[in-house]
This record gives sequence, C-alpha cells and structure tokens, in this order.
Amino acid sequence: MRLLSVLSVLVAALFLLSLLTGPAGFGPGESLAALVSGRGEAVTLVMREIRLPRAILGVMVGASLGLSGAALQGYLRNPLAEPGLIGISSSAALGAVIALQTGFAASFALALPVAALGGALFAVLLVFALAGPRGGSLTVILAGIAISALAGALLSLVLNLSPNPFAVSETVFWMMGSLADRSFTHVWIALPFMAAGWIALGLTARGLDALTLGEDAAGALGIPLSRLRLLAILGTAAATGAATAVAGAIGFVGLVVPHILRPFVQSRPGALLPASALGGAALVLAADIAVRLVLPDRDLKLGVVMAFVGAPLFLHLIYRTRRQMA
Amino acid sequence: MSLLRVQNLSARRGLRAVLDRVGFTVEPGEVVGLVGRNGAGKTTLLRAALGLLPASGESSLAAMPPAARARHAAWMPQSREIAWPVTVETLVMLGRIPHLAAGARPGDADRAAVAAALRRMDLDDLAHRPATELSGGEQARALIARVLAQDTPLILADEPVAGLDPGHQMAAMEEFRRLAAEGRAVVVSLHDLGLAVRHCSRLLLLHDGRIAADGPPRAVLTADNLARAFGIAAHFVDTARGPVFQPLEALP
Repeated sequence: MRLLSVLSVLVAALFLLSLLTGPAGFGPGESLAALVSGRGEAVTLVMREIRLPRAILGVMVGASLGLSGAALQGYLRNPLAEPGLIGISSSAALGAVIALQTGFAASFALALPVAALGGALFAVLLVFALAGPRGGSLTVILAGIAISALAGALLSLVLNLSPNPFAVSETVFWMMGSLADRSFTHVWIALPFMAAGWIALGLTARGLDALTLGEDAAGALGIPLSRLRLLAILGTAAATGAATAVAGAIGFVGLVVPHILRPFVQSRPGALLPASALGGAALVLAADIAVRLVLPDRDLKLGVVMAFVGAPLFLHLIYRTRRQMA
Repeated sequence: MSLLRVQNLSARRGLRAVLDRVGFTVEPGEVVGLVGRNGAGKTTLLRAALGLLPASGESSLAAMPPAARARHAAWMPQSREIAWPVTVETLVMLGRIPHLAAGARPGDADRAAVAAALRRMDLDDLAHRPATELSGGEQARALIARVLAQDTPLILADEPVAGLDPGHQMAAMEEFRRLAAEGRAVVVSLHDLGLAVRHCSRLLLLHDGRIAADGPPRAVLTADNLARAFGIAAHFVDTARGPVFQPLEALP
C-alpha cells in the first residue's frame, strides 16, 4: 500500500512537470493558471491542446505498457515476457506501417491507430488459433514468437518494396515511438481500448497469484484457466495495441518496470499489477520529459530514449540476478 | 457419505489408454495409498478424478463446479512448481484462495489456517524466507502446508513425500493420518511401499491403467501382486510396532 502511494505521488509530480516542460517558454504559474482558468489565449491553447493531451497520453501509454508487462510475466511465469514477446507490438506496428505505406493513414485522422489496433487484434486471434483451446503458457509463447517473427519479416518486406522513400522515412520515424504533437483525438481513440484492457488485466490478479503454483494447482484451486488466458491476452492486446497505435513502438517499459518493482511487492504477481501500471506511467512521463529537455530543437524520439534508459538498466538487472544466483 | 466416487473412468494419451474403466470410492477417515510402477497411470488417475484432464466416465469431483471443488478437494501436483520468490507464508496463503470472496483480502481465519499449516509442517522458522531459496524437501513441505491450509474434506497428493528426509516423511504421513482421524480423507500416490504399509489404511494398486487390487495393505501387497505389478519380491512381517515391509529383490 505504501508503495502504491509513493508511486502515485511520483506520477502526479511527473505529470505536473510534463505540463510545464516545452519550447514555448511560459512560466509555471502562468501555464497552470491558463490551464485552469482559460485566460490568455496562446498559453491556454498550448496548455490545453498540446501539453495536456501529451501528459495524459504519457500516463495512459506508460500504465498500459507496465500493466501488460506485469500481467504477461505473471501469466507466462517468465520474468523475460513482455507484450513484444507474444507478437502484439510488432503486429500493431505492421498494421500501422501498412496504413502509412498504402496511404490509408492519410485518408482520415484515425486511420493509423485503427490499422495498428487491427494488427494487434489479428495477432491475438492468430496466437489463440495456434495455441489451441487447452494450450498452456508455453504454446502461447511459441505461437507469439512465430507471429512476432512473421510480422517483423512482413514489416521489412513492406519497407523493402516501398516505392516511396518519403513514406519509408515517415514509417521508420513512426516506429521509433513518440508522444509529440498528439491531440485529444488520440486520447479519445485510445482510452476505450486501454480502459477495457486495464479492466481485463485487473481481473487476472488472483489467478496470477495462484499460477505461482503452476497451472495444474491453480486449476485445482478453482481458477478458470481458459478465462484467465482470455483476460490476460485480450487485455494485453487491447492495452498494448492502443498504446502502439497512438505512440508507436515503445519497448522496454513492459519488461523493465515489473522487474524493478517485483522485490517491493515480495514478488506477488497480483500486487505487481497496480504497482507496474503506476511505475510504467512514471517511466514514460520521465522519458518524455527527458526527450524535450535533452535535445529541445531536434525531434528526439521517445522509443529511442527509452531504449537508452531501458537497455543499461536491464543489463544491470541481469548482472545483479546472476550474482544472486551464483 | 463418500468424499469421492469414481466410476468407469478412462483416459487416453494419444492412442494409448492410460486409464481403463477405473472405479473406486473414498470414505471419510481413510488414507488411501495409490501404488503402482512408473507409468501405471497414478498421476493420470488423480488428475482425471479432479477433472484437470479430459476423461470419459464419472468422477464426483470432476462434476463439481471449479470453485466448489476447490473447497472440497485440495490437489498437490507432482511437479513442485514455485514460479516466484514469494515468502513461504505467502505461498501457503495461496491455499486460502478458494475461501476468499471475490476481491476480498485474507482475514483472521485465513491467517490462523496458514499459521496452523506452517506449524504442522515444521516451517515456522522458514515462514519469511523466499520459497525458491529453500531446499527441495523444504519446498515440498511448504507445498504440503499450502494443501493443509486449503482446509478441505479431501486431499489428493501426487508423491508428496518423495525427496523428504525420513523424519519429515513420517511427519507428513502422520499428518495425513491425523486429518483422516478428523473425518477427512487423503488419497496419496507413493513409491515407498514401506511407508504406504505403515501409514495407509487402504491401498489401490494400479497396473496398466486398471485397478489390480484394492483393500488393506496386507491384502493388496501379496507376493503374487508384487511380482505382477512391480516385478519384485518382498518381506512383510507384523511386529509389535506395526507392519514392516521391505522389498528384497527385483524378479528376473
């Protein structure tokens, strides 16, 4: 409980900091007053239409990625699992890339996120079909790896055959992930899917705890395993698919955040869920602030910064784990 | 009223029939030892009886809704899986899941059941250690404690005492006997026939997916049955301190 309070305060502070960070150069008091009262036209516009949706999306995307990672690690009983592993991120990216390349993305405002969600959903259905009705976590991992590889190959093929170099560079930048220039339209399209995903994943807490004892024992404890699998995978697809749809591919959050927070919840998979949601939100907000502070005049991509933060952190964790096991 | 009734239970793995029309009932007060050689179908029988794998025939447990079944029968699988480094106490608390209402946190009754289970399995000193750091035998005791904490009329356990030191093997079997004396019942698969003879009130001998013998240990472990089902000869005596069973040699 204390951990959740600390993380909530951290998210709130970073949210505020995110609202106050940007190239426009307004003072903090002026910015917040404009946000609340609506006085001062330029400031209000910047605050309400640019920075507020960006900060809100940071929370939503981070919470989705952190929560999905924790749920998948709990379900697959593998600390290396993340949404990317079961092919959801790459399939969402594939959907988005196809939309960008075919020009479908330019046809209407929501075409890109819709295509990404479609890709994520398609991947989930394929994982289900491959893993079978009684498939355990291992078959889900194997099916996910196969689909991930397939989506990656298709993605390369699309870029390879693209006749339009401009579309290729647009695609490559999109795939680096960013929260820049997002509006409330993005918030509204992502929110219903993410909220559905959060609810589904929230319902898995007790089942994930029971899975500590293995699938057989959990089933005998009265946990409906096929329902648990449905909730874990559909919840991850909805949350991660929507996050990828509005922010592009942002890796490492779902992997690193549960890893860092696990010792603080005594490794209980159910308790790790809310903690990872808050932790993910904090990490994405912090990285998105860093993006704007480090190179304010270059459009530094969030996914790139996250990889720079995440990879060394992860290496350190592996090193520490190895020392503990020795 | 019997705690478990199994009739005509059959299960296949691929084309091979692993269980062939097995039937038995378990009454309150019994410690039933399930014996048979490797691959005889012991694990399949227990899992099919619980409804954890597809099978034809009838089992009173498999017919129950999962939540009600979890309050009627506890199951300790052979694979001693502990996926995360949770404390022993947290691990044992998982046995209380069937007794918790949706979204409820463990209450005083749950904590009392966990404390009692830890004490019975001699785990008080290890309660706050990560379960994954314990030795294999200690982990097995923690998992038995989890089953005890579930507080069910019936316990099914697949090789629960394999890998335990002799003292804790006896303690676990005696715990099962004590539960039976309370009016519960335990079905336990065992490879140690000496332990089975001393602690089980009844043995089920499984051979090639069928029940080859069912009754008191003395009646089941006859020279003929031992030769047929295990391919061994053994020495069996009644002493002042209870029956003693010692396998002697593998038959050619």
